[in-house]
Amino acid sequence: VREEPQPGPVRLRPPVNRVSARAVVQWGLEYFAAWLTISLLSWGIVAWFAGADLEPLPKVVMDWLPVVVAGVGGLTVVVAPLWRYRVHRWEVSSDVVYTRTGWFSRHWLLVPVSRIQTVDTGQGWVERLLGLATMRVHTASHLGSSKVSGLPLETATRLAAELARRAHDLRDDAT
Amino acid sequence: MVQRRRLSPWTAVVGTARELSALVVAGVTGLVVGGLSAGLYFTVAGVVLGLAHSGASWATFTYAVYDDRIELRRQFIGRSAKIIPLDRIRGVDITTRLRHRLLGVAVVHIDAAAGGHDQDAVLDAVPRAEAERLRLLLLAGAPAAAEGPGEVVYARAAPRWYLYAPLSGAYLLTPFALIGSLIGTLYNVGDDLGLITRRRVEGLTRDLAELPQWLVMTIVIVLVVAMPIASVVAFALVNWDFTLKGGGRPGEIVAERGLFTRRSVSLERGRIRGVELRDNPVERLAGVVRLDALVTGLGRAEHRGRLLPAAPTGLAYAVAARILGSTAPGPLRGHPATARARRVVRAMAPFFAAAGFAWLAGRASLAYVCLALSVLGVPLGLDRYRQLGHATGAGRLSVRSGSLRRHQAVVEHEAVVGWRLTQTLFQRRLGLATLTVTVGAGQGGYPAIDIAEPDAVAFAAEITPAWITPFIER
Repeated sequence: VREEPQPGPVRLRPPVNRVSARAVVQWGLEYFAAWLTISLLSWGIVAWFAGADLEPLPKVVMDWLPVVVAGVGGLTVVVAPLWRYRVHRWEVSSDVVYTRTGWFSRHWLLVPVSRIQTVDTGQGWVERLLGLATMRVHTASHLGSSKVSGLPLETATRLAAELARRAHDLRDDAT
Repeated sequence: MVQRRRLSPWTAVVGTARELSALVVAGVTGLVVGGLSAGLYFTVAGVVLGLAHSGASWATFTYAVYDDRIELRRQFIGRSAKIIPLDRIRGVDITTRLRHRLLGVAVVHIDAAAGGHDQDAVLDAVPRAEAERLRLLLLAGAPAAAEGPGEVVYARAAPRWYLYAPLSGAYLLTPFALIGSLIGTLYNVGDDLGLITRRRVEGLTRDLAELPQWLVMTIVIVLVVAMPIASVVAFALVNWDFTLKGGGRPGEIVAERGLFTRRSVSLERGRIRGVELRDNPVERLAGVVRLDALVTGLGRAEHRGRLLPAAPTGLAYAVAARILGSTAPGPLRGHPATARARRVVRAMAPFFAAAGFAWLAGRASLAYVCLALSVLGVPLGLDRYRQLGHATGAGRLSVRSGSLRRHQAVVEHEAVVGWRLTQTLFQRRLGLATLTVTVGAGQGGYPAIDIAEPDAVAFAAEITPAWITPFIER
């Protein structure tokens, strides 16, 4: 049956499942580590310039740079994980893996199971502490490869195994 | 019984030609500079060793083509065998450099489907006839019929195509690349022979600074005149007699080009998922476009998927239509007017930001220059907006973007391996989104930038309804 063209604007509905709430902690820790490094670096660079008696930028900028960096970092560490938790969702229908990720920018990714090349799951050390895992679905195109982080380990493992099996059953050349 | 074959006996000579010539040059220089010395004996020993090594690797290497696979074996102190199933072979290139042509041999490069380059196999070198036989054998999976259908020529370079070379920009820099590499070589050789001392370099710099003005002007003028001429020459060397034709068996497309190094790349039509048309503003004015094939599993696709060098637009579209089996869908639908401001702002942003930094750093004059440059972003952004477009029809879809480097991709619906929809906070306010068609060929994905969000979903749903409609909300 051929679908009639939809009247009015069409939108994608969000995928059904949220990721685990523990993912907020994971992202928070990751952002914290990253921004701490950036803050220390900017502070160090400014201190080095001051010590070497150099002033590549006006004094106001040099004085406030580490403060601004730390402020932006602090805000990101607090806001971004919660925002991501609101955005990140996933769904596996009978023939499509549908994910929505991102925070400031959102990405909707639809990967048909019949085009999946490989599926794998991985755990970083933070994820191991929290019992979470990241599932990656690869297609022949690196742009069409999807990544869902913040899944409970058992969900990720089960999904990956199931997707791999279904992809294998369906698969021709998958290009 | 399948015959195990060896490479051409000339391999030993061709393979070491470069090393040999380098050694001979070094030896002769040694003779001239230092007389009959230890250096000369070392050189002779090196040549002998090199020949012995090439001879040994020639003698220990064999290959054989079976019904379903090709085996390459090396059996010397260690053993190695590489086996490539014939159905994994995506392409066979035949390259003949000048020295190969003199000896009647060719290098066969077998491109296997797997990821890394180490999966590819090279037969360096076999006789010309054997190279042709291998190509037919490997790509067909079975010996090709002795006489195929009459040779189809899709396109052949007309002499005036060589004049398009200066339009592309890259070839214009040829004289500078030549001069640069010449100076580099001279410096290295001179340094090795101990001819370069600090005093001489300083003397040379002083002499250069004292050159009369008319001479400097002449050199500059000669360079400016040389740029387009050298670009035509360089382009002609690479693309001499570019021919795109049907191969010896159905579904094979062969692109041949080159004057001294004649390259022949064969593509399987079944693996061509679409084409990409690229041009820049000057080429657009001249009505010229470059055509590439999007081929699945093709390594180094940017050189090997080339279907046409800069060629007249009408011809390029006609060739694309013949290869894809239908014309490109069109006309392209433009993107919403709200996208225009975004293109302009983004084209102006880099120099505007630079101006801000320059102002902060207290370089007012530099800031004004950057501001003036950022104004150039207005026409650029407007043109970028004008070039945006998407279309679908007859089993093909097409997206276009870019201005200074405009590219339009035409992709088969079947080749779509997924959809990526991206929306930044700014795009969301304007109801825009960027829809990327992901494809397992070419660059991996082609974006429709700043399309209206509902149009993006509708576009994807029109092409692959089964994947999108379950997720549509009304």
